[in-house]
Amino acid sequence: MTAVTVGSEAHESDIVFDVEHVTLRFGGVTSLNDVSLRMYRGEILAIIGPNGAGKTSLFNSLTGVYTPQEGSIMLSGRAGDPPQSVLGKKTHVVNHLGVGRTFQNIRLFPALTALENVQVGIEARQRSGPISAMLGLPWQRREQRESTHFAYQLLGEVGLAPKANELAASLPYGEQRRLEIARALGTNPGVLLLDEPAAGTNPVEKRELAQLIQRVNTDRLVSVLLIEHDMKLVMSVAHRIVVLNFGEKIAEGAPAAIQRDPAVIAAYLGTSAEEAAAQAAAAPDVQLIEGTTEAPLEATPEDTRDDGEVNP
Amino acid sequence: MNRVMLRSPGFKRLVACLAGSLVLAVMIGPQEGTQADYGYAFRQAVFKPRVFVFLGIGVLMFLLVTYWPRVTPYFTRPGAVALCTGLTTVIAAQFLLRWDDQVGNAKFGAVSRAVSNTSGLSPATTAFFSWLHWVQFLVIAVLAAFAVAQRNRMLAWVTAAFAVVAGGIAFYAHNDVISFSHVADHSFGAFTTLLGYLVVAVGCSAAALSHEQATHARDSIDRVLAWRPGLPIAAVGAAATIIAMTTSAWFSPLRLNASFSSTHDLFAGYGLSPISSQYLAWLGWVLLAVVAITALSSTYLRLRLGGWIAAGLGVVAVLLTVVTLYDISKIGADNNVDAATGPWQNLGSGGWLACMGFGLMAAGGFIAATAARTSTGSASPSTPDTAFVPSESQGGLSLRTASRSSKNLLFVGVVLALFLPPTMTEFWQKVLVSEIGVYVLLAIGLNVVVGWAGLLDLGFIAFYAIGSYTTAYLVGSLPHKPPAWLHMTPLLAIPFAITICIIAGVALGAPTLRLRGDYLAIVTLGFGEIIRITAVNNPGNITNSTRGPSPAVAHPRVHIGPVHITWGLNNLQYWYLLLALIVIVVILFYRLEGSRLGRAWAAIREDEVAAQASGINTPRVKLLAFAIGASTSGLAGVFFASQIGYFNPDNFVLNNSILVVAYVVFGGMGSLPGAMAGAAVLTWLPEFLKDQVPADDRQMWIGALVLLMMIFRPAGLIPARRRKAELGGLGSPPSSETRAVPASEGL
Repeated sequence: MTAVTVGSEAHESDIVFDVEHVTLRFGGVTSLNDVSLRMYRGEILAIIGPNGAGKTSLFNSLTGVYTPQEGSIMLSGRAGDPPQSVLGKKTHVVNHLGVGRTFQNIRLFPALTALENVQVGIEARQRSGPISAMLGLPWQRREQRESTHFAYQLLGEVGLAPKANELAASLPYGEQRRLEIARALGTNPGVLLLDEPAAGTNPVEKRELAQLIQRVNTDRLVSVLLIEHDMKLVMSVAHRIVVLNFGEKIAEGAPAAIQRDPAVIAAYLGTSAEEAAAQAAAAPDVQLIEGTTEAPLEATPEDTRDDGEVNP
Repeated sequence: MNRVMLRSPGFKRLVACLAGSLVLAVMIGPQEGTQADYGYAFRQAVFKPRVFVFLGIGVLMFLLVTYWPRVTPYFTRPGAVALCTGLTTVIAAQFLLRWDDQVGNAKFGAVSRAVSNTSGLSPATTAFFSWLHWVQFLVIAVLAAFAVAQRNRMLAWVTAAFAVVAGGIAFYAHNDVISFSHVADHSFGAFTTLLGYLVVAVGCSAAALSHEQATHARDSIDRVLAWRPGLPIAAVGAAATIIAMTTSAWFSPLRLNASFSSTHDLFAGYGLSPISSQYLAWLGWVLLAVVAITALSSTYLRLRLGGWIAAGLGVVAVLLTVVTLYDISKIGADNNVDAATGPWQNLGSGGWLACMGFGLMAAGGFIAATAARTSTGSASPSTPDTAFVPSESQGGLSLRTASRSSKNLLFVGVVLALFLPPTMTEFWQKVLVSEIGVYVLLAIGLNVVVGWAGLLDLGFIAFYAIGSYTTAYLVGSLPHKPPAWLHMTPLLAIPFAITICIIAGVALGAPTLRLRGDYLAIVTLGFGEIIRITAVNNPGNITNSTRGPSPAVAHPRVHIGPVHITWGLNNLQYWYLLLALIVIVVILFYRLEGSRLGRAWAAIREDEVAAQASGINTPRVKLLAFAIGASTSGLAGVFFASQIGYFNPDNFVLNNSILVVAYVVFGGMGSLPGAMAGAAVLTWLPEFLKDQVPADDRQMWIGALVLLMMIFRPAGLIPARRRKAELGGLGSPPSSETRAVPASEGL
């Protein structure tokens, strides 16, 4: 495992995302309210929170899809990059700065094969233009060979190499999730943003996914920012956890600490913080979050639909 | 009659079929009426006994649809698809195509009436045109259906032999009529009939040879092609060449139809060049034997070297044939035979048919040569790891077999495009150049924008106009003359027109980058109209308004070193120029489709947000689509302007833009061969229907065809591989046949 530097003494360039006082509003609705957080290079940071807490809005702000009205987001995507502001940059530019992402509801290119999906990610970084492609010039051919080779390598890493030539739409759900990760990795990111990668997958696939995330983190030295409802997965892979509720950050810390945090328990159970604290004090062994994962956290309509489709 | 019955799907289907048959009755009925009596045509069509025929058709349709699931398993039998195709072809040839250029409307019925009144034809011919044609068709249809359905090997071989004989009789009878009338022949009826019977024979032999059941109807075609790569195409080529050498006319001015052997005697004393003289005397036969033997044996035995030899010999044979044709037509023109003014006139179809045959044999050899290479070792370049290759055939796509049948189709297409036009009538040559060819080029361009990048462009014809007017300016046909150093011939104008169209494409694209779908369509529609109305309004007298450029835009000329080519009024010349342009564009775009830009286009079409998140610079990629599409349109504009000479803003109306979109959608959005096929079919059809239906009804029939096509085959004639999955979407398995209407509804 790489050195995870956590703490105030960390060097500036070891901060991947430095989010400060970000506020994002849609008309009268405040989606993110004065959120500040830091993500350090090499760590797996999980963002959790009930539905509607603003997790995906935060992702979209980090990748340039939304521009927050207030605050600043500084990004140093790959190791050694000087920090740059994300605000006002186009999504593809943010991607070029080293941010790869996946989507909550899978957004593959269904009519392309698995291989081509990954190639799209890889080739966004290449230089050859339409004329060299039309004439089949040598450097264009070389780039194409490289992209095919790298795409096969990535597909092998996520265990999809035998299905390289199948259409993305024809893959089972769990494999589509992994293909999306491979496509994001194809853009050679320094940080990978995974939006609910385990939604709709079965327990076996979840275990594989956890291994995949850890492999990506250690072998490819990619920092991972993870939104996930499945607490087992989060607790098993995350180095740190940030909890959002109603657009505000309510807690931040190591997984063990978050599990016992009264504010977090209150947010998930819908009780007041004091009651939750009292409950926690009364029964210190009970790990509320882990116990509550199955029912209330995964009960979104989308998840159940996905489960119905996929589970054997 | 209770409510349950009324709601049953069977009843609804029956009502739908009967309603459809009434519509058909109105469509085929007399389309006339008066101001006082609008209902006349309707009553004539529907309230007459003839309506029962149509109701019968409706009931037949109902039965067919209801029992379709019981019929479909038979289509997976080996040879069944080929059998159906062949029989349909024969029916079409005997009902729709021309059989002669001389008598009446020249279709089968007219020719057979003429034959029955003529004495002096051989008894086989008379019999064929009076009763034998339908008797042999029925016998073969029944026998073949029985043989394929019951998988009776013996019967299948017998039927195959019968089919070959039947095709031969049809062809012989037609040749007898033609040689009796001593007139150059441009009809395709007999030839198509022969082809249909040969396809039936292939289907029967496939049924006899194979005991395996194909999983899908299409697989059986691929299996026939994959059995011995190149053999089918080479066999067809050999048959065509034998027919050309034995029966067809090689030199046919008025009152003469000289076959291959008599052509030699005909030109004996006229100073034929040695090569041509030898060719007509013995070289032709030797070439036929050598090429046929090498091509057939190397494809059958899968010899790689033999394949190359056959390909080379085939090309040499084609060249020698063309040289000979040039020589004899040149001598004919020098001697002023039938008022010929230059070479290439008065030639019969035999020489060109021989070219086609040699070309197909060369293609068969080439396919055998290249197929042998992939099977013996190194993996194809797109798959670095051979371990993954088997998954292709297991997967739903089966890329390799698909590419095999498309490779065969490609060669057949090229050979036909090269050697079929000279045998056509003047009318069809004109249609080929000014309708089919130009719109194929336009459809290829629009396919980039609409099919690949998914940007609906309803103003595409504007770039065509810009290309045309740029050419007109550069050759000095507009009121403002270019400076002397810029005055040029039309072909030199191509780079300028392309550049200006790229600029115009970016100018249209840049403001519309954020728009999608319908909104983009409206803006592009406006752009198209702006260009046309500007041309009409003639600001600063730049376009000469509705009169169009004058004097006429010059015809293309090429003077490079010893090569001097001047295009005049001969449509055939323009066809070869256009063919060269199309081939170049298709090769370039084919490469583009497989490049990173092609994938990026597919990505933004499928999901723009995901494409951006994958790092694709979507504005740039969209602008490239607009620019590349526009430049193709501009190229078509250069050709159009210099070919037609006179044009005006009416050539660039909105209707033409919509037609090009329709061609691309009809052929298959995002599929290069599909867009070309769509444009070719939909431009050919109106001209073809001129012979078949009353002039006023033409658009109705085309509309009906487009309607049926979009309901039952919404992905187009030749669906794009990358598009197939689109209507299925994520999460649901892709089906090879996408449907606009769910199967449970509709029929």
